Amino acid sequence: MSPVLSGVLQLLALVAALALSYRPLGDYMARVYSSEKHLRAEKLIYRTIGADPDAGMRWPAYLRGVLAFSVAGVLFLYLLQRIQGVLPDSLSLGFTAISPDQAFNTAASFVANTNWQSYSGEQAMGHAVQTLGLAVQNFVSAAVGIAVAVALVRGFARSRTGELGNFWADLVRGTVRILIPLSVIGATVLVACGAIQNFSGIHEIGQLTGGTQQVNGGAVASQEVIKELGTNGGGYFNANSAHPFENPNAFSNLFEIFLILVIPFALTRTFGKLVGNVKQGYAILAAMGVIWLGFTALMMWTEYAHHGAALQAAGGAMEGKEQRFGVGASAIFATTTTLTSTGAVDSFHSSFTGLGGGLTLLSMMLGEIAPGGVGSGLYGMLVMAIIAVFIAGLMVGRTPEYLGKKIGTREIKLAACYILITPTLVLGFTALSMALSSPPGSILNVKGNSVDGSGAHGFSEVLYAFTSGANNNGSAFAGLNANTPWYNTTIGLAMLLGRFLPMVFVLALAGSLAEQTPVPETAGTLRTEKPLFAGLLVGAILIITGLTYFPALALGPMAEGLS
Amino acid sequence: MSTTTPVRTPSEEDIQPQAPESGRVSGGLFDPAQLLKSLPDAFRKLDPRVMVKAPVMFVVLIGSVVTTVLALKDPGSWFGWAITVWLWLTVLFANLAEAVAEGRGKAQADTLRKAKTDTVARRLNGDTEESVPGTELRVGDLVVCEAGDIIPGDGDVVEGVASVDESAITGESAPVIRESGGDRSAVTGGTKVLSDRIVIKITTKPGETFIDRMINLVEGAARQKTPNEIALNILLASLTIVFLLAVITLQPFAIYAGAEQSMIILAALLVCLIPTTIGALLSAIGIAGMDRLVQRNVLAMSGRAVEAAGDVSTLLLDKTGTITYGNRQAAEFVPVKGTMAAEVADAAQLSSLADETPEGRSIVVLAKEKYGLRERHEGELVGAEWIPFTAQTRMSGVDVDGRKVRKGATGSVIAWVEEQGGTVAEDARKLTDDISQAGGTPLLVAVEERLPEGKSVARVLGVIHLKDVVKEGMRERFDELRAMGIKTVMITGAPRPPRRPGTWWTWTPTPPSSSRSSRSASSCSSRAAP
Repeated sequence: MSPVLSGVLQLLALVAALALSYRPLGDYMARVYSSEKHLRAEKLIYRTIGADPDAGMRWPAYLRGVLAFSVAGVLFLYLLQRIQGVLPDSLSLGFTAISPDQAFNTAASFVANTNWQSYSGEQAMGHAVQTLGLAVQNFVSAAVGIAVAVALVRGFARSRTGELGNFWADLVRGTVRILIPLSVIGATVLVACGAIQNFSGIHEIGQLTGGTQQVNGGAVASQEVIKELGTNGGGYFNANSAHPFENPNAFSNLFEIFLILVIPFALTRTFGKLVGNVKQGYAILAAMGVIWLGFTALMMWTEYAHHGAALQAAGGAMEGKEQRFGVGASAIFATTTTLTSTGAVDSFHSSFTGLGGGLTLLSMMLGEIAPGGVGSGLYGMLVMAIIAVFIAGLMVGRTPEYLGKKIGTREIKLAACYILITPTLVLGFTALSMALSSPPGSILNVKGNSVDGSGAHGFSEVLYAFTSGANNNGSAFAGLNANTPWYNTTIGLAMLLGRFLPMVFVLALAGSLAEQTPVPETAGTLRTEKPLFAGLLVGAILIITGLTYFPALALGPMAEGLS
Repeated sequence: MSTTTPVRTPSEEDIQPQAPESGRVSGGLFDPAQLLKSLPDAFRKLDPRVMVKAPVMFVVLIGSVVTTVLALKDPGSWFGWAITVWLWLTVLFANLAEAVAEGRGKAQADTLRKAKTDTVARRLNGDTEESVPGTELRVGDLVVCEAGDIIPGDGDVVEGVASVDESAITGESAPVIRESGGDRSAVTGGTKVLSDRIVIKITTKPGETFIDRMINLVEGAARQKTPNEIALNILLASLTIVFLLAVITLQPFAIYAGAEQSMIILAALLVCLIPTTIGALLSAIGIAGMDRLVQRNVLAMSGRAVEAAGDVSTLLLDKTGTITYGNRQAAEFVPVKGTMAAEVADAAQLSSLADETPEGRSIVVLAKEKYGLRERHEGELVGAEWIPFTAQTRMSGVDVDGRKVRKGATGSVIAWVEEQGGTVAEDARKLTDDISQAGGTPLLVAVEERLPEGKSVARVLGVIHLKDVVKEGMRERFDELRAMGIKTVMITGAPRPPRRPGTWWTWTPTPPSSSRSSRSASSCSSRAAP
């Protein structure tokens, strides 16, 4: 079998698996978020935290819940890392406390569902931090994302009320009824594939060449599954999904990609169910699917394209790829992980061809919406849909409406604020890092010492770091020493602001929509469940992203890829 | 061999209105004279304090100033000059387009203002007439208007009847009749008397007349942006900020890459990126909408009107004359139990003699045609005291030979009967309900008679059924409107909404003077059509 055919077959298998799980999972999630009943375990949690799960919350109350919970998460995680040095060895594996700037960066990173790692898991984090801190945030930060998305969907579905549901109920249900059961199934599959799951210490083993190597044990499979399922991306080990303990074989590789995509895609079905028209969900799904498939195809093309004798001999751009699974599997993983806000990697994006590296960057720059992170992808896409409806609705010559809700001045103001945040963070911090004297020193591929000699690759590394942080992706372009106070602080800020500022505007938008009286659908209504609209949506996303980042991309990956 | 020639059936062309001639659409928007006239305004709008209200073009303006300064510093560079000229042209053209649009609103307001100030009123001062400007009229002044005069202010006709051309205000080209008394007495300033002579009592203060309000509206509209425009401006402003950021941050990147760019190039790139032209999208859509309307023989005066029409969600329709033909005619006299139809007809006729409204006259006519009752004249009955119909009492009648006869709106008559200590027949209410449900208007007829023993008793005799014919094809039109998502509400003065299945929403207001107003106001019932 040729490498290209194997890549295409893997892609087809993945699409088939996603299609099979789409309806059952989407419908199940819709039931979870609209059910009146509480499980016994949930009631226990509500009693413990003192929340009334049946109280309806208006958007400011919902937002206060989100922020209070996340601030508590950041503080707890920060403290846990800072006291690691005094924990018993069985919990800390003998590692010392993490430095303040790195602890802040890591805490921000995991609470913001980014999982940017400026540390190396096996050399810094013990069992306590990994399991009590990081793994817990992997679950709840994902549940917060879904909760906010569901609140926005309720904004569309409800009318003449400001209430968006109850944050604590949404958070607990997302964790207890969706993420935990799916993780149990997923972890079992991964263990069956050969991922490890234990609490043993550090083993020293001999190498074939005579040296020795330290190998950590740990609860890897359980963290691995939520790393993908919750589009978190923070690996137990530094090598992430390229490490055989995390990603043992070709099947587990494909299964991990499936886990990344399954909830973000199925949420469009949940959205359709909750607004009472599944076709609206299909239109959003179509827009997401077209972008995901298009980018994957482009990525496979750039990585299979043979330039130069070495690449032709290898049958593709093999450098940095997951050698066990080939170029195709690496390309699918790379686009999937960057188009969702996951950031797990099974290959090294820095080593991709110039254009391939640019594609991973562009994937994140789209704003993590195709299909995006769990929850965040859906609400990001719906905000873009509002903007697309607005532009298209103006052509009809009346006040545009989406799902029966008028898109007026207030809604556009909030949507406009939403799309302003990420570019501001990415371009602002990157420009600062390039203009100041010391931060460029972290770039390992400096002029004259790099693959291309022009410094374009080095610039891509910085641009990638902030794009990854502000978009809550968390993958790294390697080649940048990010564990400096400057990068730890600025990327930490970018992650927090890039996660929670959009949530503020999304919840305000949801509140504003929920208060409206629905407009009946008429002959003059723009049909948002038709392919025309899905096409328009894709166009609007690509044009806005393209114009914003084209100048920066031209100086980085494009200059490298075309030279 | 047949000698008949085939009858020519009217072809499509005959039926179709003529296709609009090309160029009929523009409405003066691309009139070169208008453009030239607005050119000074375009330059005046370069004032930064004005420009800052349009953020996108303001950024272009700043770009133009920066490139001009840079071009002056290096006068030999043709590139700098070329960019500078392009940027200034961009700003000026945008200002010109805005100035033209505003000029149209101003022209409309000027036309209206002219109609207001030019009129000369013939004010009655005792028996003499004096000419005063229309703006000097006060409430309570009496003015005379004859054929050809412009009515100088809002008021009520107190004497005479005339046909009035109200097209300047309503757009309706057919003249309407305005007469003293009844509900057709109100006239509006700025309309034209076509025939006869009327005396008008002025009822509004100068500055608050209908025309004044229209002028305010038109001028206000010129300043105010539509909600869609405001929303679009917000979106465009935020995109401008994003692109501004993209260009500003480009310089450090470019310096790192060893390819520092000049300010002129950055300014040019920024203007290329920011959405300078999408702002014109709404105007373009408006013009396209006006074009489409002209093809259907509707003249829209502005693109904003098209946008507003697109947002219509509820249509409030006056019933009489709009949904119905408007001349309600008495159709039958229905007696309550224990009375004869002829008795009702007699009382109805008597009580309507003093009622000069078309309804009142139709009752007299019906009594004559159907019951052979000769029309009596007011002079015939000696010692009769006539009570004319007014909009306040909603009753008319006569007191003659110790008999008091009244006819009028259900609520008013019932109140009158109860006031006289009489009782209302039980089936009277049912009869009026039946008529209302059939879509008609019921009027009650009541009488107070002195019994032989000297006691007087008031009672309801029966009901007059007024029918108003619904125009043909209304139902189909309402169906079409409903398909477009537009609710139709019929506003009618009928005592309660007709409950014919599935027609339209109704709203029945009752005058506050009525003792039963609370019940009727709460019956402000609205019912969704199926």
